[in-house]
Amino acid sequence: MVKFPSKEWMDLYVERLKSNDIYKDSARDWEGDITFVCRADGPLKNDIAMWLDLYHGECRDARYFQNASDAPKSAFRYIGPFGNWVKLIQGQIDPLQGVLTGKFKLEGPMMKIMRYTKAAKELVRTASKIDTEF
Amino acid sequence: MWFYRSPTVVYGDDALSFLESIDMKAVLIVTDRNISKSGILEKVKAHIFSPSVETIDYIKEEPSVDEINDAVEKIGNFKPDTIIGLGGGSSMDAAKVILFRLSRPDLDFFDLTPLSYLGIKKNHKFIAIPTTAGTGSECSWAAVVTDRNDGRKAEMASPEIMPDFAILDPSMVSGMPAEVRRNTATDALTHAIEAYVSTWKNPYSDSLAREAVMLITSGCAKLHDDPENMEYNSMVQIGASMAGSAFSNSQIGLAHALGHAFGAVFHKPHGLSVGIFLPRVIEFNDVSCHDRYEEINSFFSTDLRKENLEESVKSFLKFMGLPLYVEDAGIDVDEYMTRKKVVADLCFESTGIIGNPRDVSRSDIDKILSDMIHK
Ligand SMILES: [Fe+2]
Repeated sequence: MVKFPSKEWMDLYVERLKSNDIYKDSARDWEGDITFVCRADGPLKNDIAMWLDLYHGECRDARYFQNASDAPKSAFRYIGPFGNWVKLIQGQIDPLQGVLTGKFKLEGPMMKIMRYTKAAKELVRTASKIDTEF
Repeated sequence: MWFYRSPTVVYGDDALSFLESIDMKAVLIVTDRNISKSGILEKVKAHIFSPSVETIDYIKEEPSVDEINDAVEKIGNFKPDTIIGLGGGSSMDAAKVILFRLSRPDLDFFDLTPLSYLGIKKNHKFIAIPTTAGTGSECSWAAVVTDRNDGRKAEMASPEIMPDFAILDPSMVSGMPAEVRRNTATDALTHAIEAYVSTWKNPYSDSLAREAVMLITSGCAKLHDDPENMEYNSMVQIGASMAGSAFSNSQIGLAHALGHAFGAVFHKPHGLSVGIFLPRVIEFNDVSCHDRYEEINSFFSTDLRKENLEESVKSFLKFMGLPLYVEDAGIDVDEYMTRKKVVADLCFESTGIIGNPRDVSRSDIDKILSDMIHK
């Protein structure tokens, strides 16, 4: 069991993402870093961020920020409160429906994301396969 | 949390006359040449009492980004308070994107996505009047536009481009050419079936999809010998709009992902393109949603229903005169084999993939595409 959010969880996530062939295939033209922002909510007392440098189906680099405001500017940001991240990782929220219902906010060029919805789904599926403790 | 969204649907005999009760000051009608030549445009205009009516009557099938931009430019300083999309899916979809471009000229063409609020309909009423019974565009918040720059179909969507009113007058569809009828009805059937098994399905889309399958298959079976019959035409027309509403509130699936890609590469009509893949997609998905397929199969017209959904769909396609293999769609096998990789690439970009009940990998798509030729 790995605790979410934590650097340990992110490192494991990146490792799993690297071995996810469906993600690699669906994101093989993707260029753009993304920051997952987990807003303070419930037991989480401050906003944290996980920055991932995603490029052509690979995760080239990843950094964890205990304070979300320290994260670098990125092409995309996917933002939601801790409680909704829990539901997302547990598969109770679809990543796209999460945005359509206002549970998550997405920042960045939207049309680009619409062409990579399969990759987005794989990003979330990878997270849901980690034995996570909240 | 999820939503059920729908326009006000006005249907049945004389539904067009409802236009007279809508307060319209300046009207823009978006349609195609066939509609304006056939007299349908005049028939609609007879119910519009606004002093100012402009018409764009040159929307082509599967309209492109450039054609829509060109139309917006020609509208110039005309400021409509009401936009009417009159025609098949192409005209209604073009009207949706024109509405977006007129409301938000500051945004880029491809900013039309459901992921953020766009403030589109603050100054416009939007009415859709279908002249085909199939695309369901009158009840959906999706629009498909051809992007000729990279040879793909852009799937654009926003709840804000959903029509306020969908007017289903059976007299609009009773004279539909046979080829248009078979393609559009097949598209509608595909909408209902895909909506019923999508991972985004919900009680609203379920009930619409079930009724749609019944109305579309029974209506088509009856229209075969009596194509001008108003009652049967109305059945398919209402069924198609229900199917449109079903997928709009749920999702399309793999048959649409493949069909959009195939249609863009081989320039085949949308209904044929999604229908040709539907039996294979059902076969592929069956392991994930067998019970749902059995349920929806029970709503097929008894004239066309077989022991399972895959066979029922095949019997429907044969009955409508549509192909099951690419050679039968007039495509050269060698050309197909050469270009099917492009189809696979485009398919993987489609939003239809994410709501499909079974996870789809690249090799799954390759296998389905390979199965589309006679062995
Ligand atoms: Fe369709």
